[in-house]
Amino acid sequence: MEELFYGASEAIRLLFAGDSQILEIIWRTILVSGSATLLAMLLGVPAGYLLARQRFPGRTLLLSLVNTGMGMPPVVVGLIVWLMLVRSGPFGRFELIYTKEAMMLAQFLIATPLVAGFTTASIQALPAKLPDLLAILGAGRLNMLWILCREAKLGLLAAVMAGFGGVVSEVGASMAVGGNLQGSTRVLTTAIVTETSRGQVARAMALGLILLAMAFLVNLFLTAIQQRHQVR
Amino acid sequence: MDIRIENLLFGRNGRCLLDIAALEFRNGRTIALFGPNGAGKSTLLRLIAALDRPTSGKIFLGRQLVRPTIATRRHLAYAFQEPTFLNCSMRENLDLGLRLRGIAAVERPARIAEVARECGVMQLLERRPRALSGGEAQRFNLARALSLRAAVTLLDEPLSGIDGPAREHLLGDLPQLLARFATTTILVTHDRYEAFRLADDLIVMLDGRVRAAGEKVKIFRNPPDRETALLLGYTLVPQDAKVLAIPPRGLKLGAGQAHFDLVVEQVVDMGLQHEIWGYIGATRVSIPLSDNSVPLPTPGDNVLVSADEIIGFPA
Repeated sequence: MEELFYGASEAIRLLFAGDSQILEIIWRTILVSGSATLLAMLLGVPAGYLLARQRFPGRTLLLSLVNTGMGMPPVVVGLIVWLMLVRSGPFGRFELIYTKEAMMLAQFLIATPLVAGFTTASIQALPAKLPDLLAILGAGRLNMLWILCREAKLGLLAAVMAGFGGVVSEVGASMAVGGNLQGSTRVLTTAIVTETSRGQVARAMALGLILLAMAFLVNLFLTAIQQRHQVR
Repeated sequence: MDIRIENLLFGRNGRCLLDIAALEFRNGRTIALFGPNGAGKSTLLRLIAALDRPTSGKIFLGRQLVRPTIATRRHLAYAFQEPTFLNCSMRENLDLGLRLRGIAAVERPARIAEVARECGVMQLLERRPRALSGGEAQRFNLARALSLRAAVTLLDEPLSGIDGPAREHLLGDLPQLLARFATTTILVTHDRYEAFRLADDLIVMLDGRVRAAGEKVKIFRNPPDRETALLLGYTLVPQDAKVLAIPPRGLKLGAGQAHFDLVVEQVVDMGLQHEIWGYIGATRVSIPLSDNSVPLPTPGDNVLVSADEIIGFPA
């Protein structure tokens, strides 16, 4: 308990002391996980929408893959991306291994199935006749996508929260493809591992609390949007 | 706008659900698609609205072939059997349809107010769908379809889910509403009374086929076959090599043009009148009796009953 309090006070001290290393790690975490979540939304929301609305051969297989991907261990994703990006791998010539871009790619692969899976479920939970109704009223494809997504906004925001929560808290993939390089690819989770292994438990706890606070603030913001229209 | 159907076939999972060689819905009429559950009425409505594609055959809306395009649907309004709304106020729900049809923003509030007032839902415009009763939701469902003032209005069981006085109230309002906001209306119903109250023309459907189509009175007076007669409320009595069809309320106690022996099963006191239930052969029938001066039979009695209008079908 004492260490928890010490960790909390250390976290506040680190933040307000303007420790450049810590601020840099926080910024990098937001950049990598935020970009990965944003990219996952760009692909995952339309993909989830198509999986919910369209019937095509292989749909069930694809949906099963997405559902499996939702529970995929990040370290396995990290390993696969590492194999692809390492110098001897098929994409080695792009020299992306141990860069922020590689971490974004790995986190994008982790978040996309989460976003797509939640999107499919939330679109399918809408009244079955809603797409027919919109079609009759004269909605084109894009208009229908927009109206249905707006109607499923609770589920879609849950999808974004799940995606962001999934990537901001993962350590295995970031470690594997980012290499936890100080000043370059170190993020909050990998920094916590490093500090713990060095025996700097209070500093690790401080970083952990910062990570928790960051995740809380992002989710508070998304939850506020989600619940804004639910009080009436 | 006329609707014409040519050689329409529609099936699902290897089963033929609709088989209509030719059918026409005339412009400006209210047409009831009438038949039991599973007759293909709603399926036909969905095909007209291009929500499903026919296996083969064509449907024309005026001269235009029905396709799943905005251009086709611009001529249509559709009230589904189960009212479906977006999770926003009912005013916004009505506004959406008009907005998607390209009605100018300055014109929409007046259109919404007019249709809401006529449909009796003016005071409910700010409510959300979940705060509506079944009857109110059906009225909004109807209001949304009527607000579009489409050339063809499709109503799938517009009174489903409403019982008692609310149903009777809406049934009473519908003819005026359709006269004011709709041009050609096709309504699906399995209720004979509803079909007769609302429609000019009747299309009787059974097992995915059209059994009769035309003016409702003509069809009622001359049902083409005994299945249609049965759907229209006729009582079928097998006799010798024929089946006799007696129109609803066509039986009376005593002698007439054609008479039958009735074995009385029970006599029910309905308050203002009595109803005699019994069997003509193996057919169970009921005869309303409003004349209180006529002595009532008792269960087990064998009484003479008759009908003045009878249609004969081959057995």
